[in-house]
Amino acid sequence: MKITYNWLKEYIDVDLTPQALADKLTNVGFEVEELIPLLQPFSGVVVGKVESVSKHPDANKLSLCTVNDGAETFQVICGAANVAEGQIVPFAKVGARLPGDFKIKKAKIRGVESFGMICSKEELGLEKKSEGIWPFEQAEPLGTDVFEMLNRNPDYIYDFFITPNRPDCLNLIGIAREVSAITGKPLKMPEVTIQEDTSAEIADFIKVHIHDTEGCQRYAARVIRNVTIAPSPEWMQQRLEAVGIRPINNIVDITNYVLMETGQPLHAFDLKEIRGKEIHVRASRPGEKFTTLDDKERSLPENTVMICDAERAVAIGGIMGGQNSEVSPATTDILLESAYFKPTRIAFAGKKLGLSSEASQRFERGADPNNVLNALNRAASLMAELAGGHLVHGIDDVYPKEIKPARVPFDPEKINRLLGTSFSRQEIKEKLTRLQLNVANDYVEAPTFRVDLKINVDLAEEVARLVNLTNLPTNETTEINYEIPQPEIEQRINFVRQKMLEMNLQEAFSASMLKQSEAALFQNGELISILNPISDDLTTMRPSLLPGLLRAVNHNINRNMTDVRLFEIGRIFTNYRENNLPDQPYSLAMIQTGNRQPEDWGNVSVPVDFYDIKGYLENFVSKIALDNFAFILYDKSSYFMSTETVALLVKDTVIGFCGRVEPEVCAAFGIEQAVYAFELNLDALSGLINYQRHYQPISRFPYSERDMALVLDDEIPAADILNEIRKHGGKLLKHLAVFDVFKGDSIPEGKKSIAIRLRFQSLDRTLSDKEVDKVFRNIIKRMENTFNASLRN
Amino acid sequence: MLQKIDEIREQFQSELKAVSNNEELEALRIRFLGRKGSIASAFSLMQEVPAEQRPKFGQTLNVLKKEAEAQYEALKSKLLKPKQNKNQLDLTLPGRKMATGGKHPLLAVADEIKAVFTSLGFTIEDGPEIETDFYNFEALNIPKSHPARDMQDTLYITEDIVLRTHTSPVQIRVMERQKPPIRMIAPGRVYRRDTPDASHSPFFHQVEGLVVGEGVSFADLKGVIQAFAHRMFGKDIKVRFRPSFFPFTEPSAEYDFSCVFCRGKGCNVCKGTGWMEISGSGMVHPKVFEAAGVDSEKYTGYAFGMGIDRIAMLKYGINDIRLFFENDLRFLSQF
Ligand SMILES: [Zn+2]
Repeated sequence: MKITYNWLKEYIDVDLTPQALADKLTNVGFEVEELIPLLQPFSGVVVGKVESVSKHPDANKLSLCTVNDGAETFQVICGAANVAEGQIVPFAKVGARLPGDFKIKKAKIRGVESFGMICSKEELGLEKKSEGIWPFEQAEPLGTDVFEMLNRNPDYIYDFFITPNRPDCLNLIGIAREVSAITGKPLKMPEVTIQEDTSAEIADFIKVHIHDTEGCQRYAARVIRNVTIAPSPEWMQQRLEAVGIRPINNIVDITNYVLMETGQPLHAFDLKEIRGKEIHVRASRPGEKFTTLDDKERSLPENTVMICDAERAVAIGGIMGGQNSEVSPATTDILLESAYFKPTRIAFAGKKLGLSSEASQRFERGADPNNVLNALNRAASLMAELAGGHLVHGIDDVYPKEIKPARVPFDPEKINRLLGTSFSRQEIKEKLTRLQLNVANDYVEAPTFRVDLKINVDLAEEVARLVNLTNLPTNETTEINYEIPQPEIEQRINFVRQKMLEMNLQEAFSASMLKQSEAALFQNGELISILNPISDDLTTMRPSLLPGLLRAVNHNINRNMTDVRLFEIGRIFTNYRENNLPDQPYSLAMIQTGNRQPEDWGNVSVPVDFYDIKGYLENFVSKIALDNFAFILYDKSSYFMSTETVALLVKDTVIGFCGRVEPEVCAAFGIEQAVYAFELNLDALSGLINYQRHYQPISRFPYSERDMALVLDDEIPAADILNEIRKHGGKLLKHLAVFDVFKGDSIPEGKKSIAIRLRFQSLDRTLSDKEVDKVFRNIIKRMENTFNASLRN
Repeated sequence: MLQKIDEIREQFQSELKAVSNNEELEALRIRFLGRKGSIASAFSLMQEVPAEQRPKFGQTLNVLKKEAEAQYEALKSKLLKPKQNKNQLDLTLPGRKMATGGKHPLLAVADEIKAVFTSLGFTIEDGPEIETDFYNFEALNIPKSHPARDMQDTLYITEDIVLRTHTSPVQIRVMERQKPPIRMIAPGRVYRRDTPDASHSPFFHQVEGLVVGEGVSFADLKGVIQAFAHRMFGKDIKVRFRPSFFPFTEPSAEYDFSCVFCRGKGCNVCKGTGWMEISGSGMVHPKVFEAAGVDSEKYTGYAFGMGIDRIAMLKYGINDIRLFFENDLRFLSQF
């Protein structure tokens, strides 16, 4: 919301500089987003007189002029059609600087020299679009600096951010009221003199009926006759333009001017278009259509407040007038409306219609029902003064149920406790009184324009902002409870993340919204789609962390970084349920592609394979001390390759998958090289992670090692062999390692050789060879029996 | 006789070249420089030299002795470090680099924020990112008709289920679950219907703070925010509070920190004001307490928020929020 400094001063005396005023208002909650001088600076422009005008010898539309600046005469080419001999004009001399950093230089136009420029208002930054140069209406002394002349009473534009709770400050008087509360200076309300033509009675021209008394709680009308439609005066146009409202004609400008002044929206109808001398306020009917004054036909949402005459709708109440009754150059009599509409009704209709106007913005936040007549009279008096209108005697004011000031419970003690202050009752009362609140013993009467004041804490805010929040006390110590149990989820996520970081992995963080087609590749249950997505690329919530990580891989490969190892922790989203939240568990994923180690003079490049990612997952599982887990072969994933994927199983629950990402899926992300990944459900790990560690004694006695190289059927999984060995190794078997896997050559077709090293050790004695051999021989026998294995060499 | 000296020199030089270890070198020393070595023997020939040649002979022999001693010492020190002789390592070659990793910068900043607040006795709470209209709006005193809904451009899953627009719903969930006293923060991802550009992302990250107890006041809120500013950015940082409006707090305040780049003097980053807007705060609105089932006669509380992305951008001097989510290794490896 914009106002100007000089305009504000009509309602209150201000002895603060424009910047100081901005700071004070910001401190009480009206943030000044921008403060700029009304006049854009320019220099070198003086008052000049056009002494002669003749045609340019070589160009039809150009004039060859001479301009006198009081001391000298200059030859100037001018392109404006309205230039004429004898005009007093703003003359930009050679070397002048105009707004937009435009510098005037000596020029040669179609062969004729030109020393300067006669300016339009547009060229001086005074209006958006000008037709021709600007001839001054009053004779000014030649040679006077035009910028100084215009800036004798410099003005400034403030652009406020008004929070939605303070609609009463969406106008100049509202801001002036706040300034009055800050400075203690009294408010100066505009003087309204109503001179009515007692020969005509309002009842002879209009009768107002409110049918929709819920939507429209007050409707007041006046009739102004014999107006002359013309442009409004210069000062009014300037003020409206300064605050961002386009001047139209005197009648419309007056309604806008009073709106900006008082915050009360008004609407002017052409009285001759109102049929049957009646106004009916009713709710819209199903299927009703209406053409607004912007020439658009609109389907009306149900329960929209409509303003109608005896036959048809003429305006959408509080939002926009109708084309059928708008003020035109031919208008002579005006029906002026000032009304109060229920905020929620206006908000609802405006939203459904996709329409927002200066009027609707104020009504939907809350206008002042008791300001309706003031604004009506102010506008009517201006119409008499500036448009030559005659006011018909009387107002048709329909106000079935008066809206009274709210009584806000008032408890100074509680206010002090909430703010941490110790103001006396008198100090608090004094502050509230400055805001035009009536303070009684245990309640405060809040004027109807203060829609935000309802309960005691609202009054606390009023006190706080007038004191200035920064000046309120600050407690630098506090008593806190030592018993602060951290939630398990925070502990779990942190722990898991820490373990991933300990493996020297880089953490990633990616978008949680995807393209539908990308999300579909990772579907695990129903996808969660967004009703009103920002774009087609952001329609679906991620069902997995892998698409985000694949995007990261693609991003880096495209920039020649082909070795990527990343992990991410975040929520994934699946399984929509009617009127219920979807599943949104935390997930952990890791992705790896390219070479195992960066390529350099000392490292041989080895591309990663399945066993790299599995190694990471095994290390992770060991770091979180998972019990009772197993890897099982898994070939049912749509995005992991069936031949290179395992599932991590804990107590019969699948926690996640690990393997090579399906090349077709990689291709969908523009990736050609092999990508390996694992993803685990961290919510499923809840309760399975062992945070506690117990020291395992380390033996002080030597160990014995035995190697075995078994030849057995290729199909037998290594995990089965190792499990069988563990089962029969007993307490003495401390460690197992596969150190060679071999096929072909001397090994028969369909068989493989697997070499395993077993380490035996006891906590309390040195093991004898005999003891170790006994266990070892038993294991070999089991291998022979269970797997039909034979010993190699 | 001088010829004899030249013979000894040549012999010494050729035998020196053949030396490959300490033993051979020692043998060489004995043969030439030892008490009975050829150089010592040559001195004993002095008497046989004609008197007029003696000084010259002695001088030349001394030069040879010094020469031989120096060459012996040089070779000796070379042999003592045998590896430097052959297969010398080029220690200036770059060392062997293993792939490294680390925290994502945004989450590293979140860790710092969490560390400050845990040290002030706060718990770290969590809540769903897809929320019901009730937790995201209604319970926070933002009914359907409320003008404040205009301020939040919301992404919807269904009419009643939304991508949370702030971390404030966690306040309600915690108050429903737990009796005061409550001191919590809730960091997490939030969503807005913003088209991505350098300063907007449709998802970003906030930290919510909530303290509820008996006698909790605005002065406590100011103290906590000030403590955070000092711990995070330094003791000289000033804090400023301005009245504002949020439906779920009353009174409500925006808080600003003095600019962390110019320390309040005014620079490009703060547009010359010396201040940086951080976020909003206020005293919990009684209606929020009612919705969460907390006795608003007995308890008071304060709430505050802050943007993690914004703090991280300030801290690292990053001017494009999208960099955080591209996962470019050249970006990630800088932190
Ligand atoms: Zn700065």
